[in-house]
Amino acid sequence: MANKEEHFDEDLELRVSADLRADLNTLFEPRFAKGEVPPEIDRAVLDRARQHLVRPQRRRPVLRWVASAAAVAAVIILTFSLNLTKEPRLSTDSSGRAEAQADIDRNGRVDILDAFTLARHIESTSQPDLKLDINGDGLVNRDDVDLVAFAAVRLDKGIL
Amino acid sequence: MKNLIVIISVCMCLMVRVMAQRSEHSDRPDEPRVRFAPLRIYLDSGARPLAAFQFELKATTGRIKIVGVEGGQHSAYQKPPYYDPAALANDRIIIAGFNTGSELPAGRTRIATVHLQIIGDVEPDYELKLAVAADADGKEIPTEITFGKGE
Repeated sequence: MANKEEHFDEDLELRVSADLRADLNTLFEPRFAKGEVPPEIDRAVLDRARQHLVRPQRRRPVLRWVASAAAVAAVIILTFSLNLTKEPRLSTDSSGRAEAQADIDRNGRVDILDAFTLARHIESTSQPDLKLDINGDGLVNRDDVDLVAFAAVRLDKGIL
Repeated sequence: MKNLIVIISVCMCLMVRVMAQRSEHSDRPDEPRVRFAPLRIYLDSGARPLAAFQFELKATTGRIKIVGVEGGQHSAYQKPPYYDPAALANDRIIIAGFNTGSELPAGRTRIATVHLQIIGDVEPDYELKLAVAADADGKEIPTEITFGKGE
């Protein structure tokens, strides 16, 4: 029987003293019943939580995003408000200045035959006449021919 | 992410608004009808090779705008000819071209195609005047210039 008590302790009576029970209750029993937490403790807990959990407000990135959005909107408005189908107009000022020189065959008018004559002259010689440097770049080449041709087709010298 | 969605939404709203405005403009019933048509220019130099040409085209009746110029049929004139860019969106143009090579067209050949925007229902009339045409020696030659409408 004594052996049984040594090896099989399921029959032991689990008893604690009244003092120990009181101490344990003091330690682990909730101090306040549900819903009876004082408001100052609530506030203190919330304050501590806010300090850890709430992110600082990032004003600068917000401003950056707003600026980006405004820039994108401006680009879109500009894109649609511009008439992109319109051909860019080239300046004909340079051809106007050269018009006086462009009458290569000296017949009193600038036409495509002046450009043709100049082109043939350039192709026929390795040392073209520098008087035929229409654009004044020190060379007599295709650029001069183009300048004469463009002078010939300028609208402000119509033939009709 | 939220900001990106806001930006995309703003952009979409702007695009929809602009597109709506454009469609309102294009749907106006009082606006004249607009169509596009090519005008092909032919030059007949007979038996002589054509080395250079220059002509002027303008509309005498109807409303047109020149929207583009294309080269000709023969390899010597396939590149776009010379013209004043100010003629685009105008109703008058001077066109010229030359070739110093030996492969030149003779007879009737298409020297250019002018693309036009025709505004309104009135069929335009055109005036075409040849300024000069020359052979490979640069000598002026008698030629006949004509135009053809349609495709």
